[in-house]
Amino acid sequence: MTRGASCFMSTEKNFSTSGLWLIGLGPGNIDLLTLGAVEAIKNCKYVFIEGYTAHLQKNDLKDIQDRFGKWDILMRGAVEKPDELLQLASQESVGLVIIGDVLQATTHIDLILRCQKLEIPTHIIPGISITTLIGEVGLQAYRFGRQTTIPYSYKSYLPTSPLEVILKNKKNNLHTLVLLDLDPTGMGEKIPQPMSPFVAIDILKSMCEKLQSEGEPMIEDIGSWKAVLCSNLGTNNQQIKYATLTQLSEIELEGMHCLIVPDSPHELESLALERWEID
Amino acid sequence: MGRKEDNIKRATEVMHELDQIRNLCIAAHIDHGKTTLSDNLIAGAGMMSEELAGKSRVLDFDEQESARGITINAASASMVHAVEGEDFLINLIDTPGHVDFGGDVTRAMRAVDGCFILTCAVEGAMPQTETVVRQALKEKVKPVLFINKVDRLINELQVTPEDMMNRFQEQITRVNKLIRQFAPEEHKKDWQVNVADGTVAFGSAYHNWGITVPYMKKSGINFKDIFEYCNNEQQRELAKKAPVHEVLLDMAVSELPSPKVAQPYRIPNIWTGDLESPIGKSMMSCDPEGDLAMMITKIWMDPHAGEVAVGRLYSGAINHGESVWAIGAAKAERVQQVSMMVGGDRIPVPSVVAGNIAAVTGIRSAAAGVTVVRDPETTPFEAIRHYSEPVVTVAVEPKNMKDLPKFIDALRSLAKADASLEVSTNQETGEALLAGMGELHLEITTYRIEEEQGIQVKVSPPIVVYRESVEGNNHGRAFEGKSPNRHNRFYVEVEPLPEDVIKALRDGEFGDGTVRQGDRKEVGNKFSEYGLDKDMMRNIYSIKGTNVLINATKGIQNLHETRELIIEAFNEVCKKGPLAEEPVMGMMVRLVDAKLHEDAIHRGPAQTIPAVRNSIRGAMLRAKAVMMEPMQKTFVSVPNDWLGGVTSEVTQRRGIIEDMPSEGETTTVIGTLPVAETFGFSNDIRAASQGRAIWNSENRGFDMVPPQLVEKVIGSIRERKGLKAEKPTESYYTD
Repeated sequence: MTRGASCFMSTEKNFSTSGLWLIGLGPGNIDLLTLGAVEAIKNCKYVFIEGYTAHLQKNDLKDIQDRFGKWDILMRGAVEKPDELLQLASQESVGLVIIGDVLQATTHIDLILRCQKLEIPTHIIPGISITTLIGEVGLQAYRFGRQTTIPYSYKSYLPTSPLEVILKNKKNNLHTLVLLDLDPTGMGEKIPQPMSPFVAIDILKSMCEKLQSEGEPMIEDIGSWKAVLCSNLGTNNQQIKYATLTQLSEIELEGMHCLIVPDSPHELESLALERWEID
Repeated sequence: MGRKEDNIKRATEVMHELDQIRNLCIAAHIDHGKTTLSDNLIAGAGMMSEELAGKSRVLDFDEQESARGITINAASASMVHAVEGEDFLINLIDTPGHVDFGGDVTRAMRAVDGCFILTCAVEGAMPQTETVVRQALKEKVKPVLFINKVDRLINELQVTPEDMMNRFQEQITRVNKLIRQFAPEEHKKDWQVNVADGTVAFGSAYHNWGITVPYMKKSGINFKDIFEYCNNEQQRELAKKAPVHEVLLDMAVSELPSPKVAQPYRIPNIWTGDLESPIGKSMMSCDPEGDLAMMITKIWMDPHAGEVAVGRLYSGAINHGESVWAIGAAKAERVQQVSMMVGGDRIPVPSVVAGNIAAVTGIRSAAAGVTVVRDPETTPFEAIRHYSEPVVTVAVEPKNMKDLPKFIDALRSLAKADASLEVSTNQETGEALLAGMGELHLEITTYRIEEEQGIQVKVSPPIVVYRESVEGNNHGRAFEGKSPNRHNRFYVEVEPLPEDVIKALRDGEFGDGTVRQGDRKEVGNKFSEYGLDKDMMRNIYSIKGTNVLINATKGIQNLHETRELIIEAFNEVCKKGPLAEEPVMGMMVRLVDAKLHEDAIHRGPAQTIPAVRNSIRGAMLRAKAVMMEPMQKTFVSVPNDWLGGVTSEVTQRRGIIEDMPSEGETTTVIGTLPVAETFGFSNDIRAASQGRAIWNSENRGFDMVPPQLVEKVIGSIRERKGLKAEKPTESYYTD
C-alpha cells in the first residue's frame, strides 16, 4: 500500500488512519471544488493550506472559511522542511490544501517521495488547474509549448530563460502560458504579492535588454507583441483581455494574473481571441 | 596684515602655478616624531609661532589626538615656501602612524605625489615604516628620506661621526632596498635616495634643525659643526642656521615632483578610463581649465560645518556654489563651501584648481575613495585598495534611548569617515557592533561618539574576531548541497590557499568582488604567477576578502543565470563560517558540478542561495574546518632593570618572544601575542615596568587556535551569538 501514492479513486477512504492527503482546491471558487476534496477537507483530522505558490481572493477565502472553518497556513519553510508536518501525518490524517492542482505547476512531488520513504500513506485529490481554466481563452491545448514563470528580479539577479522559453516556442509556432511570481522576497515566508501585469511586462522588457546586451540577435519590440492577460480565472472577478503587451501593462487589477503569448493562431483560434480584444 | 594672513593670500595665488605646487605626506612609525615635524614645517611657513613648533602639534587638531600624543587623522595643511624668491605651495597631508589606522594611510597616499620617509636615528626604520613606504610606492608616490632624532644619537649615545655615517648608511640601504622592490619599474633606479644628491636629510625636528648636503654647501655648515652645536647644547643656534622647515621644504621643491610632472605617470595607475578622452587628457596634463575630477581621500566631522570632504583635484576646478556629482550618488549636490586647509583652520576660497588639495562641504554623498565630477557618467578613480581585516569588536549602545536616532546618525558618519571600521546596527535595540583594527581603534571611536557627538554610550568589553578556514581539502569528495525544494543540487570542493596568495589577496593585488567576464583571463594569468593552475583560475567567479570562488563545471545549462545567487551564497559563507559564524579566510571554493531545475522560478534566490551555502559549509567540514585567531607583533622597549617583568608578561599571555636586541641600557622585546590575550596588556606592562616600558604593536595575520583551546573558543562564540551549543556536522548540511 505504501508503494506509490493512491489516487482519489482509492477505495480506502478511512480518514481515521494516519496519512497525508494532498487536496487540490481549484481556483478558490467554492463551486469548483470536487466532491473528493470536500470529503477530505471535512474528514481529515488536521487541515492546512499551503500559502506560497498561489493566493486566494479575499471573498473566496471568506466563503471557504465560512463553510469549512479556518485553516492554518503553511509557508515555504514548513513545506520544504516538512519534518513537523510528516511527524503529524505519521500519526493522524493530515490534509494539505493546495490552490489549483496539487502536482502541476508546483513541486509537491517531493512531499510524496518523503512520505514514501517514511512509509506514510499518501492520497492525491486533483483540483482544477490554471492549465484547465485557460481553455476558455479559446486556444487549443495541443498548440502550447513549454510553460514558464516570470520571477521577480532580486538584486542583480535577472534570469532571461523565461523570455527564451517564449522565443523558442514562437520559433516553433507554439503558444506560451506565462505564470507570474508572487513572492518579491524570493523566500516564500511572507504573504504573497501576486505580480501585476505592469511589473511582469517591465521585467520581460528588462530580460529582452539583457539578452540583447549579451549579444543575442535583436528581438523586435516586445511591447508590440499581442498577448492575452488572464486575471482571476475561475473566480467571480475573472477577466480576459487581448491586446499588445504595452496596452496590457496599463491595466490595473487586483489578484492573480497570467499571460498567454499566442503564436500564429489558426483561424478558429483567432476568432476566439477577437472576443477578448480591448476596444 | 599678519604673517599668517599674508601667507594665506600668497597660497591662494600660487595655487594656480602648477610647477610651483608640491603635494606630499610624511610616512613614519609611531613616535618617530612625525607630528612634531609637520608642525615645524607649518610654523616655518608662518602658520604658527616657531617657538611652539615641536611642542604644540597643530595637525593634531583632534583633541583626542593631542591627549593620546598620537596622530589619528590624516589632516592636511597648505603652506607657502619661497625658494630663490619664488613662492611654492606645499600641500602637506598628515598620516597616522599607528597600525590601527592603516586605511587612512592608504587614502592619504592617493592625494600626494611625494613623501618624506621619516626614520629615527636611534631606532632605525621600523616595520610599520616599511608598510607605509610600500603603500606609497604602490601609489607611485616618490619618496625622500629624513633621519630624525640625530641629537639623541650624538648626545645620548655619544657616537663618533664615522659611527653616525655608518648608521645612516644602514638605514639608507634599507630604504633603497624597499624602493628597488616596490617602486614602479621605470623609477626603481632614479628614485633611489642618497646623501650626496640631496634626497636624504637628517636633523632633529624637536630642536627645529635639519641638514642636507646641498644645504651644507649653501650655508657652509659641515658635519663637525653639527657635532659641536649638539655637544655644546647650542641646538637653538643650529636651528637658526639650518631650520628644519627650510631644509626639508627646499628638498621637497627640488626633489619631489609637481602635479604636472607626477600626474602623467600616476593617472594611468589610478584611473582606468580612456586617456585620450577629453577628461583623460585633462587629467594627464593637470589642466585647471578641464572638466572637474576630484578624488575624496578623507571625510571628517566639523562641529560647525558638518561633514567636510577633503580630496585631491586631478583636473579642472571646484567652485563655490556649483552643482557636482559624487559618482554613485542618486543626485547632483551643491558645493556649499570650498576651502584650503591650514592645520585646524579651513580658509574659504572661491575655488581650488587641479593639482591641489581642497576641503569641500555640501557633498553629503561623498565618502573616502569617491570621485567627484560634473558628468556622472565619468569613469571613477580606481577604488582605494585597502582591506580592513577587523580583529576586535565591541557592542555599543546609547545609555539613553532618546539618543538613539542621533546615535545611529553618528555611526553612519563614522563608518563613512573610517573605512577600517565596520559598523552593524540593530535598529530595534539600538545596539551597534563596531569592528576595528584593535582595542585602541575602538576606544577612540567610542570616545568620539561621546565627546564629539555628546552621546553617552555603554560599551561592552572587547571581543576578538576569529576566522574560520580549512586545514585540508575534499578533492574527489565533493559535498552535495540541495535546494529546499530539492530540485537543485550543487557540488563543492574547498581547499586552503597558499600563504603567498593569501597575502597578495590581502594586499589587494586581485581586487575584490565579482570578477567581470572580460577580466577573467587576466586575473587567471596573474594567479598563475603564484603557481596556481591558469586554466582553473581563469574560471574565477568572485573574490571575497582572502577567499576565491571558482566555477569548475563544464557546460551546465542555465548555470550562468544563477551566477549572482551562487556568488551571494559564497559571500554569505565568507562572512559566516560553519563552526561559529566567524568570517572565513584563505580558502578556495570550487563549484565542480550542479544540477538545476529547468524553470527559473524553481531555482530562484530562495532555492539556490541556501543550496550553495550548504554545499560550501558542508565542504568545509569535510575538508576539516579550523579556527584561526588574530596575532599581534609587539615591540616593548624597556630599561634592562625591568626586563624580567616584561618578558614574563609576554610569555604569560601565550606570547612567543622572537628577539631581544639591546642597546645600552635598553632592551626591546619583540614577540608575537594572540590578540585575545592583549586586552589590558598596556596597563600590565606599565605596572611591570613602573611606567618605563614603551610599546607598540602591529597586526600580524592569523594562526590556528591551539587544539586544547578550540572547543572552548567555538563554544563561547556560539553561546554569545545565541547559536545552538553543538556545532553543526556534515549531515546538518546534507538536507
